[in-house]
Amino acid sequence: MRRAALVAARELRADMRHPDGIATAMTLMGALVLVESVVVGPQTARDVAPALYWISLFFAAVVLTTRSFERELADDAIDAVLALPGGRDALYAGKLLALAATLALVAIVGAILQIALVDLRLALPGHAALAVALGVVALPAVVILDVALTLRLRARAALVPILAVPALLPQLIAATNAVSLASVGDAAGSIAWSGLLLAVGLIYAVTGLTIGGTAIE
Amino acid sequence: MTTTAIRPSTSVRFRQPLAAVSVAGALIASAMALLWAPPDANQGEVQRIMYVHVPSAWTAYLAFFVVFLASIGWLWTRRHAFDAVAVASAEVGVLFTALALIGGSIWAKPTWGVWWTWEPRLITTAVMFVMYLGYLLLRSLSSDVDGRATRAAVIGVVAVVNIPIVHLSVTWMNALHQLPTVMRPGGPSMDGRMLATLLVSVLAFTIIYAWLVVSRAGLERDRQRRLLEARSA
Repeated sequence: MRRAALVAARELRADMRHPDGIATAMTLMGALVLVESVVVGPQTARDVAPALYWISLFFAAVVLTTRSFERELADDAIDAVLALPGGRDALYAGKLLALAATLALVAIVGAILQIALVDLRLALPGHAALAVALGVVALPAVVILDVALTLRLRARAALVPILAVPALLPQLIAATNAVSLASVGDAAGSIAWSGLLLAVGLIYAVTGLTIGGTAIE
Repeated sequence: MTTTAIRPSTSVRFRQPLAAVSVAGALIASAMALLWAPPDANQGEVQRIMYVHVPSAWTAYLAFFVVFLASIGWLWTRRHAFDAVAVASAEVGVLFTALALIGGSIWAKPTWGVWWTWEPRLITTAVMFVMYLGYLLLRSLSSDVDGRATRAAVIGVVAVVNIPIVHLSVTWMNALHQLPTVMRPGGPSMDGRMLATLLVSVLAFTIIYAWLVVSRAGLERDRQRRLLEARSA
């Protein structure tokens, strides 16, 4: 756990020193919100905002994770971490913590953009915030696993979405429904979907922490 | 020029008996489905596609569960036989998932009026199909026997979550798809002859699955041996 915390702290320091990954993820979120309102119009944009929010957050997670591993590969830092006893597991767990933290930042910015630019009204902001908090923890476990698996393959850019989107379908459905129902004031429905999000997120997090280290080459 | 003799895999001796039983099972199941089972009171003759659609879906579940077990086996022991079973079962599972989707689509047209609709069972099944296509794609992009097996095994373990999601999707969400009629509380709600035909079809499909997996795993073992021999040469 201490090693994982060290890896996470190192990741966050690297993100602060070279915030290109975070900047790219936030720009992607902003661009998608703008495109959404232009392409489908303001009324439909409000209806599809929760779904588009989570899809853009998924792609933001892919961008952040890919950038993080590219940084490690570029200066061979990954080999030093992998050489340590328990290094693979620490690397996976550390990246999980760091990605959840940076993704939370991107999620907050994305939510502000959705509320400001699409005029998204949330009847139950606390319930929506709970779903977002659970979602930013549920997405990274799968995304890191898939990026790590394809790390040394040429077709990585194409493979990551193919592998990750089906695995994340339950999380994306649950998170979208939880936010949608929170926006219309259905507290019980929103909590139920948040519960499913928590359950699936836990399953993938435990699976990832158990075999995630194996995936890193 | 020298040639290397490859030891025939142990699966060879199972192939022919399994092939014979598979053909017999397919013939018996077809006869029961087409001649013996009564037509459905509401849907008529078109309902007979159930005897292909349901066993295909069941076999796909079984195949992907075997992928999960074989993946754990590889990660645990690093024995290549597990990887051979995993890839064989994944390929056969993809085949049967495609068959279930196509059969379901043919059944949907006369009963629902559409070939495809955005319905939980259909979407989750299609997603499971794409996920295992991704599994096979991931394998095909590397010739390193061990690295490929490890990558695939991780996906094989993660992807198994799809099976309960597909199966339970009709009860979790408002679904157009029919609810379970065999594995349901209170027992099967189906005519006796229909149920017997369905069970025989499921058994026949399971034997066909076993035959295909044994044959394909044998080929994969031969390929692994060649690759490992080339690596050590």
